[in-house]
Amino acid sequence: MAPELIALVLLLGVAAYSIAGGVDFGAGIWDLLAGTSPRGREARALIDHAMAPVWEVNNVWLVLSIVVCWTAFPALFQATFLSLYPLFALALIGLILRGAFFAFRHVAEDAREHRLADLVFGISSVLTPFFFACALGAIASGRVGSGSAFEASFNPMSIAFGLVSVAATAFSGASFLAGDARRYGAPEMIDYFRRRILASGLVLIATGTVALAVIGLEAPSLFRSMVAGRGVVFALATMVLTPAVMLLAWRGMYRWFRVLTVGAVGSMVFAWGFAQSPYLLPGKLTIEQAIAPPATQTVLLIVTVALVVLVAPSLALLLYLDQKNTLESPEP
Amino acid sequence: MIDSPLWLAAEPALLPSRIQMAFTLAVHVLLVPLGVAFPALTLVMEGIGIFRNNPVALRIARRWSVVMAVQFAVGAVTGTILSFEFGILWPRMMGRYGAALGLGFAIEGIAFFLEAIFIGIYLYGWRRLAPRTHFLLGLVLPPAGVLGTFAVLSANAFMNTPGGVTVDAGQVVDVDAASVLFTRALGYEFWHFLIAVYMTAGFAVASVYAVAWLRGRRDDYVRLAFAVPFTIAAALTPIQLVVGDLSARALAGDQPQKFAAMEVTWTTRDHNPEVILGWLDGSGQVQLGLAVPSLNSWLVGYSPDTVIRGLTDFAEDARPNIVEANITHLAFDVMIGLGLAGAGLAAWYFWVLWRRRRLPDSTWFFRLASLAGAGCYLAVETGWITTEVGRQPWIVYDVMRVSDAVTEAPASFVWTMLATLVVVYSLIGYFFVRLLMQLGARWRDEDARAIEAPEEGAPYGPRPRRLGHGS
Repeated sequence: MAPELIALVLLLGVAAYSIAGGVDFGAGIWDLLAGTSPRGREARALIDHAMAPVWEVNNVWLVLSIVVCWTAFPALFQATFLSLYPLFALALIGLILRGAFFAFRHVAEDAREHRLADLVFGISSVLTPFFFACALGAIASGRVGSGSAFEASFNPMSIAFGLVSVAATAFSGASFLAGDARRYGAPEMIDYFRRRILASGLVLIATGTVALAVIGLEAPSLFRSMVAGRGVVFALATMVLTPAVMLLAWRGMYRWFRVLTVGAVGSMVFAWGFAQSPYLLPGKLTIEQAIAPPATQTVLLIVTVALVVLVAPSLALLLYLDQKNTLESPEP
Repeated sequence: MIDSPLWLAAEPALLPSRIQMAFTLAVHVLLVPLGVAFPALTLVMEGIGIFRNNPVALRIARRWSVVMAVQFAVGAVTGTILSFEFGILWPRMMGRYGAALGLGFAIEGIAFFLEAIFIGIYLYGWRRLAPRTHFLLGLVLPPAGVLGTFAVLSANAFMNTPGGVTVDAGQVVDVDAASVLFTRALGYEFWHFLIAVYMTAGFAVASVYAVAWLRGRRDDYVRLAFAVPFTIAAALTPIQLVVGDLSARALAGDQPQKFAAMEVTWTTRDHNPEVILGWLDGSGQVQLGLAVPSLNSWLVGYSPDTVIRGLTDFAEDARPNIVEANITHLAFDVMIGLGLAGAGLAAWYFWVLWRRRRLPDSTWFFRLASLAGAGCYLAVETGWITTEVGRQPWIVYDVMRVSDAVTEAPASFVWTMLATLVVVYSLIGYFFVRLLMQLGARWRDEDARAIEAPEEGAPYGPRPRRLGHGS
C-alpha cells in the first residue's frame, strides 16, 4: 500500500508542477507572442505583474518531485538519468535562463537589452516544458534503458508529449491570465486572453489527438490502458474539461473555469501515470521493484504529511493574500 | 596530475563532471549564507524598528528584504541545478544511496517550500500587512533556514561518515532513518556550517556599511546597519573557533585520510608537526611551509606522543592523491588563518565597545571590517573545499568512489554542458552584481532626497505596475 501511495505522491508532484509551472511557462509563451503593439505591451505588463510573487514557489514542485523520485525510487532515478540526461540538461539550461532573465529584464538598462531579455525569457518558456515533457514521453515509450541516450530521448513519443505540454502550458497560462485580468478589472485584457484560451485550446485538442495516435502506434499496451484501463477516467476527464473551459471562455462565463483548467491539465498527467501503473518504466520496472526500504517510505510519508500540515496552509495564505491584492504596492 | 590515474580514470566524463559539480557547488555555496541567515538579521532590524519605534531601522530592514529576496531567487535557481546534477552527473550514487541521501533532501524540500512562500509574503507584504503581522509572518524564515541547513548538512554528513544502511549486492536493502540522518559527522558539520553562515551574513552585510563609513557617511543609518550585523557575527567568531577545533579533532578519527591531507602528514608518526602552508612533493616531502614541532599531535591528543596516521597508511586508491592533498591542506590553512583574523577583529570590536561604550572610530578598524565579508566568503569556500576535496577519491566515504558514481554520458556532452553553465552563470553573476549596485545607488540617492520607496523597481518587488491602469 505504502509504495503505491508514494508513487501517487510523486505523480501528484509532477501534476502540481505541470499545473503551477505550466501556468508560469504559459505566461512566458504569451509574453513571447505579445509583440510590441500597445495592446501587447499591456498584456506583457499584466503577465509581469501576475507572475511576480508566486513563480518561485512553483519551482519548488519540481525540486520536490526530483527528490521524491530519487529517495523513493532510486532505481527509476538512476535508469532515467542514465538514459535521458540530454533532455534533463536541455530543460535545466532552459530553466535557469528563464529564471535569470525574468528577474533581469527588470534591470535592463536600455530598450535593446530589454528586448533581448524578453526574448530569452520567452523562448526558454517554450523549451523548458517541452524538454521536461519529452522526458515523460520517453519514459512512457519504454525506451529508457535500451538503445542510445539519443534514441531514448528523441523519438515520436517524447516529441508528442513535448508538443502537448507546450500547448497545455499556453492553454493554462491564458486561462489564469484571463482570471488575473478580471481581478485587476481590465476588460480589454480579459477579451485578449479569452481569444487566446480558444486558440490554444484548439491547438491542445489537435496535439492531444495526435499524441494519442502516436501512443497507439508506439506503445499499444499504454494506449489500451488509457482508453479502456486505469487511465480511462482521467483521459475522459481531460477530453471533457478542455472543451468545457473553452466553452465557458467563449460564452464569457468565468465561474469555475480556472478550477476546470487545473482539472484538465492535471487529468492529462494522471491519465498517463495511472495508465502506466504499476510500471514506473513500462515493461521493465514496477513500483514494487523500485521502491526504497520501509524506513525511507515511512520518512517520505511523514514528510508528505508535514507538507500537507505546514506547507498547504502557508501556500493557501500566500495565494489568499495574493488574490486579495494584499501583496501589492499601492498605485501611485 | 598526470601521474595520478584518478584524475582521468576509465570513465571519460569523470574530469568534466567533477569540474562541473565543483563549479556549480562553489557558486551555490556563496549564495547560502545570505539565503539562510539574512532573514534573521533583517527581522532583528525590523524588531528594533517596531518595538523601539525606530523608523531608520525599519527603512534598513525593508531594504535588506529586497536584497534577501533577490539573492534567494538566484540561490533557488542554482540549488535546483544541483538537484538535477545529482542525476545527470552522479546517477549511480543516487541509484545506490538515494534511499538514504534522499531523507535529508526530502526534509529540505519542506524548508525550501516554507522559505519560498514566506519570502514572497515578507517582501510583498510591507505595505498592506499590519507591521506586527508582517514581523510575525517573517519569523517563519529563520527556523526554515536552519531546517534546510540541517537537512543538506545531514546528506553531506552521510557522504562523509555513512551509516544506517544495509547494502546487499550494490543495493540498499534496509535503512535506519535516524542513523542515516544523524551520522557522526553531522554534529560538527552542522554547527560549524550554521555558525559560518550567520558569521558570513553578518560580516558581509556589515562590510557594506564599513565602506560607507570609510567614505564619510557617519549617520544613524550607517551606524545601526553596521552595528547590528557586525555584533552578531563578532559574537559568533570565538564560538566558531571552538567548534572548528572540535571538528578537526573529530576528523582525525572519523576520516583519517582527510585529516592527513589537511595536515600534509605523509607517514604515520607521533610528534607530528603542524605544517603551516607549504605543500607535498611527489616523494612525500613537505616543501616550504612552516613546521611547528609536535603541535599537531598536541592539538589532536593534548600530548606530543599522540600518533597521527599518515597518507601512506592507506592504499593509493583509497586516499587523496598528492594534488588533492595539497589543495585540501592549503584550503584548510587559509580557512584557519581567516578565522583567526576574524577573531582578532572581533576582539578589537568588543574591547572598544566594553571600554568606551561606543563603536570603534579607527579607520583601520573599518578597513579591516570592510574586508571581513569577503574574508568570510573565502573561508566558507575553503572550508567546503577542505571537506569535499579531502574526501576524494570517495563520493560516499569508504564505500563508493567518485569514478563508480559518474554518468555514462560522453565527456564531450558534460564539457558542453559545463561550458554552457559557465556562460549562463557569468551572465547571472553580472546581472546580479549590477542589480545590487543599482539598488545601492538608488537608495543612496533616496537618502539624499529623503524618499521612502525601497523596493520600487526591484525585480521582486513591489510588483510591477500594469501599464495604463495607474492613476
